[in-house]
Amino acid sequence: MTATMEPSLATATDAVTTPATAPTTTTTATAGTATATDAGEAAGRGAVRRLIRAELRLTVRDPMTMFFVFAFPVVTMLIIGGSFGRSPDEDFGGTDPAHWYVASYLTVVIAAAGLVMLPVHIASYRERGVLRRFAAAGFSRWSFAAAQLVAGLVAIALAGAVLLAVAAPVYGVPTPHSWWRVAVGLAAGAVAFVSIGVLLGTLLPSARSAQAVGLLLFFPSFLLGAGGPPPAVMGSALRVIAGPLPLTLVTKAVREPWLGIGDATGPLVAVVALALVALAVSARRSSLTSR
Amino acid sequence: MVRGLRKAYGERVVVDDVDLDVAAGEVVGLIGANGAGKTTTVECVQGLRRPDAGTVRVLGLDPVRHADRVRRWVGSQLQDSALPDRLRVHEAVELFATGRARPAGELLDQFGLAERRRSAFASLSGGERQRLFLVLALLNRPRLVILDELTQGLDPAARRGVWSAVRQLRDEGTTVLLVTHELDEAEALCDRVVAMRRGRVLDAGPPARLVDRHAGWARVQFGWPPGDRGDASGIGDAGEAGELVRAMRALPGVRDVSVHGDQVRVHGDRPVIAHVGAELVRRGRIPADLRVELPDLEAALLRLLRDDDTSTTAPTATSATPAYHAGPFTAELIGAQQ
Repeated sequence: MTATMEPSLATATDAVTTPATAPTTTTTATAGTATATDAGEAAGRGAVRRLIRAELRLTVRDPMTMFFVFAFPVVTMLIIGGSFGRSPDEDFGGTDPAHWYVASYLTVVIAAAGLVMLPVHIASYRERGVLRRFAAAGFSRWSFAAAQLVAGLVAIALAGAVLLAVAAPVYGVPTPHSWWRVAVGLAAGAVAFVSIGVLLGTLLPSARSAQAVGLLLFFPSFLLGAGGPPPAVMGSALRVIAGPLPLTLVTKAVREPWLGIGDATGPLVAVVALALVALAVSARRSSLTSR
Repeated sequence: MVRGLRKAYGERVVVDDVDLDVAAGEVVGLIGANGAGKTTTVECVQGLRRPDAGTVRVLGLDPVRHADRVRRWVGSQLQDSALPDRLRVHEAVELFATGRARPAGELLDQFGLAERRRSAFASLSGGERQRLFLVLALLNRPRLVILDELTQGLDPAARRGVWSAVRQLRDEGTTVLLVTHELDEAEALCDRVVAMRRGRVLDAGPPARLVDRHAGWARVQFGWPPGDRGDASGIGDAGEAGELVRAMRALPGVRDVSVHGDQVRVHGDRPVIAHVGAELVRRGRIPADLRVELPDLEAALLRLLRDDDTSTTAPTATSATPAYHAGPFTAELIGAQQ
């Protein structure tokens, strides 16, 4: 069925379709279009900056983030780091068990941000219509995902710094044997888990389901891949399960070159590949769902 | 400009072949019951949903293909949306403000939120949230403002304040597309309204004209002095009172005359108001309590919906009388009224 239209509106309607300061139409000169596009890109960058600033503020106000990303890794690192003494132990690659856990728990921060903080945050935004409001306000398809990526990485950096600052006076922080491998492992691991977090947040239908799935992924990964017993004391079945877990790979890629117990080239390559794939998939998914 | 818009969710068609024009500086209201397709229509206009068929142009651009460019010129207050719980009012304004934003303090003052600028979104009442959404919708000097259920949850004073802001927008030349259940709101604010049902447009036009088309009746009521009654049970057939009732029934356009105690009610077409007045004056009986009741947009919409029910349940009649379809019928109906 068609609508009615007041006949006298035709010319006025034309006026609204071509406002003096409105975006250019296809009949506008190329230079005009280019100017509008450049202005649009500048506005897009401004929107991302505003979103990142807002998201960073919100990250530090979120109790779940403060608990899982900041408090949980520090508290558990302090407890378990002191549970196996300070003597070098073969089960810990011949290193000080406390240092083993200090190096390992940096990746717990990464997993908490990627598997708990971001999925719940993003799913909650979508469930409550926050993403819709952002989209309607002209925030571009990728700007929200980019803001989450930056907010996640900054949260990981801050929480990692807090963890090392707490560990330093208690257990000491070992000097990395290979700085660049540790840095690449941490950076690639952070990008991989933050991307996984963005992906989960866009896939899961509600904040509750994101929380359930996130915790279900986080705790086994945490116990088997970073914060639990060392692989040497695990049963063979557990070792087989733990081996290919993403967090296990990230932890190996960081811990081994840090403590000088291996160069972990295989895990490092795997983590970099995982980061690239997860980043691409989450970017694609975000562009499809942000409308 | 919307032409032939169609949108379905699975098997369910929610917008079906809708045309809609909104001229620059106009305030247009989409009215209709729940499930009429109003919100989906404006979501397609905003580029938030991709139409299954049809053409949508906003400021000359396709709002899906050129979403980023179009949305910079559109301010919207959406139904069922929110802001992050811990975002404060002034932070929300900073987040949404682009380079051409109005001074935030001015808008927060205008909508009574200046005192709450440091409050978190979660701590705002429903009315305060609505007002904040309005502030955000108007913040960047939009050329088109889309307001979906804008006064939902507002108290009467706040509602009037929002109405005044919409009128100010119109005065400034901003185009407003309003989605509302509140027909008094549509009547008070809109230059034109578009009545929708089951994804289709039933009719469109200025509110007063819709009322004339679909609820062109009036009721005149006045008291008759007790001493002049024909008998003890009320105004009967005898005497001047009885003769008055008969005279009223004979007036052009009168459909019914009824008596309730000492009150006479005359119901009929709109010209009845003048005829009844003239008859009373001619008789030298000028009641001090004469009241005129006119239908409003709600009455017109109800009639429109009832007629649509009739036309959909009686296909033969529909084909004979293509009610509310396009311009020609509308013109025909207006002609008949005149």
